[in-house]
Amino acid sequence: MTKRAFPGATWMAVSTFAIPLSIALIFWWLPDDADQGFSQKIFYLHVPIALTTYAAFAYGAYAAVRYLRSRDAVWDLRSYVGIHVGTIFGTLVLVTGSLWAKVSWGLWWNWSERQLNVFLVLFLYYCAYFMLRFSIDEGERRATYSAVYTLLGIALVPLSFLAVRLLGSIFHPTVFTHEGAQMPGTFLLGFLVALAGMLALAVAMVQLELRGKRAALRVRELRRRLVGDDL
Amino acid sequence: MIGAALTLAGKDLRLELRRREVVLGMAQFVIVTLVIAHFALVAVGDRQLPKAAAGVLWIAVLFTALLALGRAFAADHEDGALDAVLIAPIDRGAIWLGKVLAQLTFLAAMEVVAVPAFWLFFFQTSGPDIRALLAALVLANVGIASVGVLVSALAQAGRARDVLLPVLLLPLLVPLVLAAVVATLGSFPGGDGSVRALGFLALFDTLFVLLAWGTYEHLSGD
Repeated sequence: MTKRAFPGATWMAVSTFAIPLSIALIFWWLPDDADQGFSQKIFYLHVPIALTTYAAFAYGAYAAVRYLRSRDAVWDLRSYVGIHVGTIFGTLVLVTGSLWAKVSWGLWWNWSERQLNVFLVLFLYYCAYFMLRFSIDEGERRATYSAVYTLLGIALVPLSFLAVRLLGSIFHPTVFTHEGAQMPGTFLLGFLVALAGMLALAVAMVQLELRGKRAALRVRELRRRLVGDDL
Repeated sequence: MIGAALTLAGKDLRLELRRREVVLGMAQFVIVTLVIAHFALVAVGDRQLPKAAAGVLWIAVLFTALLALGRAFAADHEDGALDAVLIAPIDRGAIWLGKVLAQLTFLAAMEVVAVPAFWLFFFQTSGPDIRALLAALVLANVGIASVGVLVSALAQAGRARDVLLPVLLLPLLVPLVLAAVVATLGSFPGGDGSVRALGFLALFDTLFVLLAWGTYEHLSGD
């Protein structure tokens, strides 16, 4: 394990470069959307943040699988940190999504919109994860139970998408279809820069939080040895 | 494994037959919930009522299921019977399956009371497509019981287990409730069938039965 003075420094640098760049591109270079005008610009923040949230949750689930296989406490910590960072980004998704919805549809929340609903279910599910985790005493049991709960999310995501399709109306502008991105090259560039920035920020946050958690564990271990207390 | 699961389920059912706590409580609770829902929907007009009622049925069923799921491991914990079961040379999956079978029986017993009462309160006139409604109930029960037992086992480990169970379980069951409501609407007179929703419920059951059965062995092993 390499010990750097500042964990996540590389990714932090990438994101501090990419996020301002994407904001500059969005506001000064990209033309306004023909249909929605200026308000559509929030798309370049909202969607990358949403994709980053899914990526962080996916990482948390992956780490949970690794934990159940290896029983190595590091994976438990990684799973927790992934979900924690995902929840932070998820809150931003709900906020930016509501703003966009208010401006373009006139409503803060639109129940007939599929992706909002799926996201809300997933967000509530991962909020419950913290309830479970913090009501069990620290140790192998907490790690195992948290990992099992996280795994259930793997089935929940595709099922939620499918379920809202049964009832959901087609209201959301479909920007990505299976024929590729339906937007001009300049728009795509702004979007990709923003996505890169958000992903890098998430990775940096995960690394930073992991380092902090590990340091806390280590301090506690050292203190225990110092006091000679084996409890 | 099936034999062990049946034995365990039989033990839970025998316990329930002697104590009669869970099923009677569930039956009363579901009736009261339906009555409350009827008054809560007092502003909904007669023509819209059936559509709202499909949702009412599933809210009532789901919340009532929480009562039994919360008690699923209670008896085993009270007298340490779970430890004895864990020591027994049987597959962990059999413990999960036994609990699921017991829960399915409780749910079915509750629905025998709930569905006629529901019909009495909200319709009275015309009948639903019984086969479609039954299929929706059976498929939804399997989903509720299989996920519910796993999550109930998770919640047992927590300090605030009574609060924890609904908080953990309800988000997972959102897709199931959505599909069950669509299937129920489809079974009503004038409904447009429920095949797609029933197919979705079957898919939900398959995925979660496999996932719950596969992960249960990790629980209660300490």
